Amino acid sequence: MALPPPLRTSITPAELELIACEQLVEIIPLVAMERTAFISGAYGPLRPPAKCKVPIWMATNLKLKKKCHIVPPEWLNVDFLQDRLTRETTQPEFSELPFRFAEVAKVLLDVASDDVTNPDKVRSLLQDIREARQSKSREGVSKLDHSELSLPNLCAMEINEIRPFFVRSMGVLTQLVRQPDQGQVDEMQ
Amino acid sequence: MSNWLDDLGLEPNEPRAGPSFIERVRHAPDDDDYPIPDNFGGLDRNLLGQDGEEEETRFQQLIRHWINERQAPDILPGQEMLLGRILDHVRKQSDDVQLLRADPDSSEDEHFRIMLVQTEIERVKFVIRSYIRTRLFKIEKYARWISANAEVHEKLSKAELDHARRYARLTEYHFNQSVLQSFPPQQRSLADNMPFMPPIVPAPDKLRPVFVHARQECPPVQLPDGTSIAMEKGRISLTPYYVVEQLLLRGEVELV
Repeated sequence: MALPPPLRTSITPAELELIACEQLVEIIPLVAMERTAFISGAYGPLRPPAKCKVPIWMATNLKLKKKCHIVPPEWLNVDFLQDRLTRETTQPEFSELPFRFAEVAKVLLDVASDDVTNPDKVRSLLQDIREARQSKSREGVSKLDHSELSLPNLCAMEINEIRPFFVRSMGVLTQLVRQPDQGQVDEMQ
Repeated sequence: MSNWLDDLGLEPNEPRAGPSFIERVRHAPDDDDYPIPDNFGGLDRNLLGQDGEEEETRFQQLIRHWINERQAPDILPGQEMLLGRILDHVRKQSDDVQLLRADPDSSEDEHFRIMLVQTEIERVKFVIRSYIRTRLFKIEKYARWISANAEVHEKLSKAELDHARRYARLTEYHFNQSVLQSFPPQQRSLADNMPFMPPIVPAPDKLRPVFVHARQECPPVQLPDGTSIAMEKGRISLTPYYVVEQLLLRGEVELV
């Protein structure tokens, strides 16, 4: 009954998606629904065509049943992402993006691509941003030492991606500095 | 019966300022739901002297503790109170759903709401289950270390501690029966520490690096290389677990 071995070392992308789907998103409902109490709060009432904020999991659920349109968040469009891609490729640091942008973008593009303007362009921009950022995080390995690495603007999915390698590398570096001075480490613990 | 779902989690006697009676009659169809505060049933944060800058719902708290537990090498204090409250809430929602489903008069619209409520119940249950299983994994892995260290006991619930002790006894018995009893007496101990070999009784590796995210301004922490850094709000760092352990226990940082 304990946690299965594949999940013991890290969170899975599917679990990150589950967490991201707790975030709120605006929808334009196509059906009416009274305000309803959920465990995470009360949502509604849905009164078409008034916009309403609901968690993403509920929005995707409604969308799949063709009961709403999803209003994409303000960062999920060609202009914004193009701007971020330019920054990403011209500046050395990671540009600022929502912490769970990868998960949210994936979910919304999967179920509601017809609510996003120019979804193919958005997809390809997201892919380019991902690759630009990936190469930066690989460069980050050279800055790795045994004590601390600051990773401003890194996102949940990217952290999860580099986790196994970075944790292991830092572990090795820790071992290397630990051996000569055992007493100091004992004191720190 | 149609108002059942609205009534979930409602305090009927809550006094409220509102429009006059005539006004309310005029808007009657819209008026059958009370405003439910976002922190309904939660602790009043002002009472605790915390600023509710970003109101965290109970389920979000649970998710945070779940992720912390998943990433931390050590076993963290169990969130029994929070878990109990969420389980109560799940039970209540399930009961209400059962009642509604048993009602033959419920409309299509209501079936739809029931389906959404059930979807959420399943999501919450998944997180609860994963949280408990993560703890169970650590408890079984560190069973002997837990039963030998009294200061860890307070982090565990009674059931968890009982399980750790029983599990430790069982494995010890098993090791003795299967291998150790046929060794010479001086080699039978489980406590010996061979240089360059992992210990027989595993303990959490607090040197393991974790990714940490500061939820608020934190006091500076001492790094292994002797320097100290300020964990300003929003900072994301990769650093050994023991560096941020105290901040994590105080809830000032979260693991990501």
